[in-house]
Amino acid sequence: MNTSQLNRAWILLVGLSLGTTLLAQFVPNAGMAFVAMVLVLSALKARVILMDYLCLSQAPGFRGGFTTFLAGFVTLAFVLYAIA
Amino acid sequence: MSDTPDQPHVLDELPGDLMIWVLIVSELLVFGAGLLAFLGVRAMDPVGFAADQDNLNRVAGAVNTIVLVTSGYCAARAVHTAQHFRAWLSGAMALGAVFLVVKWYEYAEKARHGIGIETSDFFTFYYLLTGFHAMHVFAGLVIFALLMRWPSERNLEGGAMFWHMVDLVWVLLFPIIYLVR
Repeated sequence: MNTSQLNRAWILLVGLSLGTTLLAQFVPNAGMAFVAMVLVLSALKARVILMDYLCLSQAPGFRGGFTTFLAGFVTLAFVLYAIA
Repeated sequence: MSDTPDQPHVLDELPGDLMIWVLIVSELLVFGAGLLAFLGVRAMDPVGFAADQDNLNRVAGAVNTIVLVTSGYCAARAVHTAQHFRAWLSGAMALGAVFLVVKWYEYAEKARHGIGIETSDFFTFYYLLTGFHAMHVFAGLVIFALLMRWPSERNLEGGAMFWHMVDLVWVLLFPIIYLVR
């Protein structure tokens, strides 16, 4: 992982975190769409950490598995939220 | 046995030691199960959980997210910038300490309002999950202190990977505990 890739990953993570914060500030009445967006943003942040900080982008055999895990986790989290 | 000695094994693709990946996957499963259990219990009392969640300091949680991902960046730079690794590692440690100070402030704020681990199901999960995560942050700081004393490429890589795992758990934990309502 070179410096410019790490810089890009950090900028992306800060941007996604600010996006989540702004969403939480400006959408006081949370609902299905809000929670779906927040969960997708968190999965994207987790994927950046896995691929760029943890260098999984260099392991094609494992990228798909971890991405599937993240997608499954946020889907299950959303289902549990939605059934309440 | 289908693999011959000259064929690389699929596990050789993984960056770093295999054991650190075993730890990362284990931690993801433990925290993942905890967060799904939180949402499962929430499903039985969404109104109560939303009322309790309003006592959380969302700004402090958001600040800590940016602090931790920036600390992770410093840890990654420490691995990839060998000649300045102490400076980057110091930055990662300082930000890790900031995370714990903000967390301590949050806990103190709750204590002032008489909120504890037995106040409600929401706060039982809140203290268990965020407290367990904070213990990992503290462990990461101890690991970084040891790396300052005994640095090596392998140790640095392992320490930074542990820190990224802590980072990874937080970005999944923060929205579910603090924002989903």
